[in-house]
Parts: sequence; structure tokens; C-alpha cells
Amino acid sequence: MKLLIHDLTTDAFNSLSLGISEEVKVISDDGTIKNCIGCFGCWIKTPGACILKDHYSDMGELIGKCDEIIVISRCTYGWYSPFIKNVFDRSISYIHPYFVIRNNEMHHKRRYDNQFNLKIYFYGDISNQEMKTAEKMVDANIINLDCKLNKLEFLKDYSSLEGIKL
Amino acid sequence: MNIAFINGSPKVKDSASGQVLTTLSKRLSLGNEIREYHFLSSQVEAEVLADIADCQVMVFAFPLYVDAIPAHLLNCLCQMETFFKTIHKSDITVYGLVNCGFYESNQNALALEILENWCCHCGLTWGQGMGIGGGGMLSMLAQVPEGKGPNSNFTNSLESFSDHIKKRETWENVYINPNFPRFAYKLAAEAGWRQMVRRNGLKTRDLFTKK
Repeated sequence: MKLLIHDLTTDAFNSLSLGISEEVKVISDDGTIKNCIGCFGCWIKTPGACILKDHYSDMGELIGKCDEIIVISRCTYGWYSPFIKNVFDRSISYIHPYFVIRNNEMHHKRRYDNQFNLKIYFYGDISNQEMKTAEKMVDANIINLDCKLNKLEFLKDYSSLEGIKL
Repeated sequence: MNIAFINGSPKVKDSASGQVLTTLSKRLSLGNEIREYHFLSSQVEAEVLADIADCQVMVFAFPLYVDAIPAHLLNCLCQMETFFKTIHKSDITVYGLVNCGFYESNQNALALEILENWCCHCGLTWGQGMGIGGGGMLSMLAQVPEGKGPNSNFTNSLESFSDHIKKRETWENVYINPNFPRFAYKLAAEAGWRQMVRRNGLKTRDLFTKK
């Protein structure tokens, strides 16, 4: 399975006419996502699932079953937009509360065995400084989530994605 | 001087960020008006925005979430950017304190960089950031005398940090690891998770559940 997580409006997303195969599950902003409340319930009350009930409660499980994550996000101060960030904040059940030392730093142990590929398309008016931040963030994030970077692109406008196959 | 303390933790109580701000406020309360705000949701009320704009200094304290700023706080920052651009106010100096559950405080560096990038968007002045490692211990150490024991690095570093705030100076970011060996921190944290899962009527093996 592949996950496509994007922050575009329905009209904007449809206008891209992306070639989405059947194995792709699309995660978009339906306006109902709740913020992580820092309760760690997804580790100690209902391990593996978020205790907040909305359409994004099973993000950890979905990531645990995918081999690729494609992110389309407005670049916001050098990283994900609030919606995309919220999806990842709500996904921490993907990892385990225990620690491991990776890259001589403390990180969380894996809960699942899959190692997904990450493709990120940032769009918007992005300064050079924000691109540098985003590149460093990607390096940190792939170590933290123990995944692999497949692609990182900066686009002036999301419309440049029109017609790509996912 | 009016100083806005913005707690960006989504936890209603007992947050490490709240503990950080409490410890800092003792060093700034004399001669300054500290206005405290707790951003629990992704929206900031108009009157709060106006109140903050009346301050000369903003101090954010928040936990590191997935390498960066928690989503609800990021939403608030976007809203604040729009507000500050509308009122054309730029004489505010911004400081940030980020704590993470990992031992290494430098894992907070990029979250501070994102906050600094936000300042550029708003036309505000970046003052200084502090990255704090071992954040899971902070609230547990609230009763330990300041400058002593496992949090002495943190409380001692707050002295110069608060001096910079008082003078509204810009300095290099600082990173504070716990005065506690990393292996011991790891063992203590993992014992804590086992204790918490059992308190919820589950077994240790449930921590490893795969859906």
C-alpha cells in the first residue's frame, strides 16, 4: 500500500488529474482532524491506535502497512503545513515508546517491521533559508522514523504536479 | 516591559513546557509584567492576539512533536503571522524553549529554526532559543532545588537566558542535556512506560501491539 497525504482542497487536488493507482490510499483534510493532546494513550491505553475518534485515528496502523508515503504540502516556515504536521503528530502509534540509539542519538524503537520510502513535494513561495531548513528536517525525520528518502522537490506551485503517476 | 509567555503544550496540566516557563518566570517577574497564555487549540482569540502585540517580548515554550512544532501551535503561528502583517508591528523580540523526550537537546535545533523562520515572515526579531533534552524528567524534578541534581544544567542556563530576555538581546541558541547518564535515562523512561501501561489494566506485552 502507498499513502498519499496532501493538504490541497478537493478542487485543487482534482485539477491535478494525478494517475493514482488502486494501491494508493489518499489522506486529505476533511476539516475534522483533531490535534494530538499529548496523552500517550496510543502507547499506554489503546496501544497502536489513537484514542481520539475521528477519521485519522488509525494513521499509525496505516503507516505500518505501507511501503511508500507521498506528501504534498505547502512549505510552512521550512517544514510541513499544519494539516500534514497534524497527520504525522497523530501517527506516533507507528513507533514504540521504548528508545533505541540510532545515528548515536536517542530515537524510538520500531513497532512495525516495514521501512517505507518517503517522497515529499513542497509547494509555495519558499525562501532559500526555508529550503535549507526543510532539507535538514528531512534528514532528521528519516532517521527518526527509520525510513528512506525517495524524493524531495520544491515547487513554486502545486500545479506542476499535474498528470504525474503515483 | 511586557513579556508574553506562550505555553504551546497541548497538555492541559503538568506539562514540561509549563514547568519551564514557571522556572523562567521567577527570573523575570521583578520589574516586568508577565502575561501568560496557554495555546491548547489551533485558534487564537482576537483579544489574545491584541494583548500579545502589546508586549515587547514573546517567549514560546513547547514540546518537540515528530521533530518539529506541534500542529496546533503551528496553526496558531500561521494565524499570528497574518495578524502581525496586518498591524505592521515589528518591535517584538522572540525567544523559544523547546523540550524533547530524547536525551540529546540538539534534536530541538530544527524546531527552533522553524520558529526563527516564522519570525522572518512576521518581521519580528529573533532573540534566542534553548533546546532542552530529557524533557520527560522536567516535571518530575519540579521539587528538586534549583541548580542541584539532574536538572542543574537547565536551571543554571536559565540565568544567562533570562538576562538576554531582560536586555532583549540576540544570542546563539543553547542546548541543555540532563545531568544524568543517557543509559540511566533510557532505563528509567522504559520502566515508566511499563508502569503506566499496567496502571491502565494492560500487560507489558501490550506495549508491543501491532494493529
